[in-house]
Amino acid sequence: MTTRLRIVGTGRKPEVAPVVLEIQRLSKRFGTHGSGDAGVLKEISMKARRGEMICILGRSGCGKSTLLKILAGFMPPSSGLVRLNGNPVSRPGPDRCVVFQEDALFPWLTVRENIAFGLKGRKMDRGEQQREVDRFVSLVGLTDYGDYLPQEISGGMKQRVSLARVLILQPEVLLMDEPFAALDAQTREEMQNLLLYLWEKLSHTVLFVTHDVNEAVLLADRIILFEKEPGRIKKDIKISLPRPREKSTEGYFAHCRSITSEIR
Amino acid sequence: MNRLNSTSGRLNRLLPWFLPVVSFLSWFAVSESGMVPTYLLPHPKDVLAAASTYIFSEAGQGSHAGRFFEDLTASTIRVMSGFGLAVVVGIPLGIVSGRVALVNGMLGMTVNALRAVPGISWLPLAMVWFGIGLKTTVFLVALAAFFPIYLNAEAGARQVSPILLQAGAMMGVNRLRGTFAILIPAAMPHIITGLRLGMGISWAYLVLGELTGVSNGLGAVIMDARMLGRIDIIVVGIILIALIGRLCDLGLHQLLRLSFKSARRMP
Ligand SMILES: Nc1ncnc2c1ncn2[C@@H]1O[C@H](COP(=O)(O)OP(=O)(O)OP(=O)(O)O)[C@@H](O)[C@H]1O
Ligand SMILES: [Mg+2]
Repeated sequence: MTTRLRIVGTGRKPEVAPVVLEIQRLSKRFGTHGSGDAGVLKEISMKARRGEMICILGRSGCGKSTLLKILAGFMPPSSGLVRLNGNPVSRPGPDRCVVFQEDALFPWLTVRENIAFGLKGRKMDRGEQQREVDRFVSLVGLTDYGDYLPQEISGGMKQRVSLARVLILQPEVLLMDEPFAALDAQTREEMQNLLLYLWEKLSHTVLFVTHDVNEAVLLADRIILFEKEPGRIKKDIKISLPRPREKSTEGYFAHCRSITSEIR
Repeated sequence: MNRLNSTSGRLNRLLPWFLPVVSFLSWFAVSESGMVPTYLLPHPKDVLAAASTYIFSEAGQGSHAGRFFEDLTASTIRVMSGFGLAVVVGIPLGIVSGRVALVNGMLGMTVNALRAVPGISWLPLAMVWFGIGLKTTVFLVALAAFFPIYLNAEAGARQVSPILLQAGAMMGVNRLRGTFAILIPAAMPHIITGLRLGMGISWAYLVLGELTGVSNGLGAVIMDARMLGRIDIIVVGIILIALIGRLCDLGLHQLLRLSFKSARRMP
């Protein structure tokens, strides 16, 4: 049943894993509106290793979403290059999937149909597809809601579906743009735990955009701190707190404090 | 709460019948009182009798007797041909021009200019081109139904949230599947609106086409009756067209809901 999964053991060592995603001197400027001459992103360079959980942290407007859109292939950079496993990327594809901040489910499809959407058209017989869907529906805890429509479920559940429909495609890199920002504190915590649980189970690389310092410290192996105008990397911080992380430990607070002072 | 809901549910189901019933009752009252002469407004019971003759009697037993089913078939064929033509041309063209700026730029102005021309002004031209009968009627119906179908499909396709298409692209959907699995379902509410408007207008233009002197059809019956001074038959024709138009609308909506998830599941 788990043959299609790449399980990574508890002894994951991202620092020696191969580089999956490489961003080389990437810049972006938009036409005339807003961004001015400085551009939105300037000379961003970074690498993500297989299985790493990286949080991109920065104030509103520093170009986090723009970076993610470029990585996803929704828009081209003004200059610079993105490589996935060494190959330049230029268009969207199932190897780099996005969980959007806003609701991007297909409203005419049920939870199960939404999750199955990306599998259609793959070389996979129906039975196997259904089994995969079943597995991912239960992985995100929606077994009882398979036949509900998006408009009939809560915001948290929608984000679970959004997560399942891309994880089922086994992307090399999962791109998440403030996916939990619109949820209440409790639901957000549930979703963070779910994400960590799935990340332990499936060995995908995650680039997680957030402006919430606590969230970043809870999730990340590395936090990439962005600064504004132009958007560029201010600092690359390794978080070596042991997992599972507790939000009440002194180490956790210390990290949050020091990063918060960096942002100011 | 439950009680309230079921009461308001019943009310909602009765509400549409309020106007027809009130109109019928006032019509009946006015006719009974004799305020209006019957050559202007026939009595409901005469209209009912005329309708019964028109629909159920053997052909030959009085004027228009038993012609209904032949007229209905003729008219339905004309409406469906014209409407079908409008659908086949209007929906693909609308969707393409909603997504491709080049096509929209090319078609937009012309379509909007032609749309401003009242359908009736096409009638003389259509008669010159196609003569009297099937072709002229189908042409008028197709032309009239095209505009709402095209314009709504165009608006629907244009307004599809780019994020849905991006979501599809990232899941590896190619352009063809994207069109049928994302674009069209997402535009479905607009497409349905266009189709229903188009169907309604089809019946209106059918009558216009048939007024030109074709021998059968519901519009032809109305025109015939006017020549013969049979106002009761005119009223029968009007009511029948209203009923059939409404049935077609219901049938169309139901058919769409049966055929497309997106029609069933989105408001
Ligand atoms: N399509 C666009 N055209 C012009 N300017 C844009 C476009 N998209 C983004 N920008 C500009 O780029 C800047 C960065 O936007 P972006 O959405 O990437 O910020 P962000 O870091 O994601 O902010 P937030 O945390 O509020 O989501 C903003 O100043 C915005 O005005
Ligand atoms: Mg953003």
